[in-house]
Amino acid sequence: MIVKIAVVTLLIAVLSGGRTTPRAMAQTDTPQATPPSAETPPSAETPPPPGESVDSGPPPDPLAPFNEKVFWLNLKLDDYVLRPTASAYNKVASDGVKRGVNRFFRNLGVVERFANNLFQVKIREAGQEVGRFVINTTVGGVGFFDVASTWLGWEESDEDFGQTLGKYGVSSGPYLMLPFFGPSTIRDTVGLAVDSALNPMNYLLSSTEVLLIKTGIAAGTVVNYRAMHMDLFADVDRYTVDLYGAVQDAYLQQREKEVQQ
Amino acid sequence: MGSLHAWIVVSIGILFSSANAGAAQSPLEAIQATVERARAVLEDPAYKGPAQRDTRIAKVREIVLPQFDAEEVAKRTLGPHWRKLNEEKRKRFVNLFVNLVEKTYSSNLDRYEPGVKLYFDQERIDDDFAEVNTRIYDPVLDKMFVVNYRMHKVDGKWLIYDVIAENVSMVRNYRNQFERILSKSSYDELFQKLELKVKELSSASSS
Repeated sequence: MIVKIAVVTLLIAVLSGGRTTPRAMAQTDTPQATPPSAETPPSAETPPPPGESVDSGPPPDPLAPFNEKVFWLNLKLDDYVLRPTASAYNKVASDGVKRGVNRFFRNLGVVERFANNLFQVKIREAGQEVGRFVINTTVGGVGFFDVASTWLGWEESDEDFGQTLGKYGVSSGPYLMLPFFGPSTIRDTVGLAVDSALNPMNYLLSSTEVLLIKTGIAAGTVVNYRAMHMDLFADVDRYTVDLYGAVQDAYLQQREKEVQQ
Repeated sequence: MGSLHAWIVVSIGILFSSANAGAAQSPLEAIQATVERARAVLEDPAYKGPAQRDTRIAKVREIVLPQFDAEEVAKRTLGPHWRKLNEEKRKRFVNLFVNLVEKTYSSNLDRYEPGVKLYFDQERIDDDFAEVNTRIYDPVLDKMFVVNYRMHKVDGKWLIYDVIAENVSMVRNYRNQFERILSKSSYDELFQKLELKVKELSSASSS
């Protein structure tokens, strides 16, 4: 549901030509109409000699007006909804319970990870994924304890369809801020939609049930994750000079690395 | 005369070895020594507690700051803009930037919990450039973090010019922030923003 809302919102934004907000915040002259490619410049993989730079001007962000609006919306959502919920949840859930719940939700993502490992021809990892699921669901009490990695050393391999696309050379497309979900790119959003389709629930349950369960799972995962990281977000505003830019860059750098692996 | 001669030889030997000790240190050794010394301060009972906070931070700063090539880091965060600044503005920017980073990371030092495990994995050297790969295990989050250092050799000493934590380069991240600001404002306005931020962080931490 959230993905559908995001896609619709995106379409509206794109079709309306991304007008800048009247407020002083986005006082950009609308970013250059460069072909959308969030390919970040080849920075110091081989470090350039000091003084030499490899690009000029701010990174391409053609959807900036939309993104900046959604970014501040997400921060408000966090302030008024997510953080208080996570905070209340924290009072009743111990660290151990939260870690267990986190693993439970991650276990449910196994079909996507299995499929994407295969798509990328990572047979061994794909096999490990299935092995992990079976072990974790039976011995590990429905994924509550991550027996597979702790006892057997089988690591989870975190692949999603966005990364699969990246592997096959699909460029990431412009940086995109999803309502509620946060930073993304066009390629990764498409990936999100495809991965949803791969979930076995879609074939076993009615669409309403699936919708309710998925929303519940999404909400639960997010609250649990937020509760585990109460501290980290609290100060991120204090430590950056330009919060939007910092989040955008951190996200893109991490994605680049994830695709490479 | 024999013992005088011996003393001369010994003294010259000591001089040489202390002069070379710095130069002979490999990038990985430099990082390991620095991080472990900083950790020792943070875990030293003599510096524990809120009363000792300023001393603690000052000691860590003494250990860590000289390992960075501050001007190089600051320069890289400005990219092509650096060339456009005169000497005075460059100095001002470097000072502001160093202050900003110091204040940011000293606040984070308050979160340090003992029991952190450090792993110094490998170094890769290419002429006068090097990258050191390390990992840090946080017992509270039960998680392993990857922290890599990029260094270059200055006057025979290896200095850090970038820190890449969990695949995010600090230089690139600040650079993105500054580029965005400079696309809408002047250098002076950027400097003002930095000054404001440093003030904010200073007053918040003293509360």
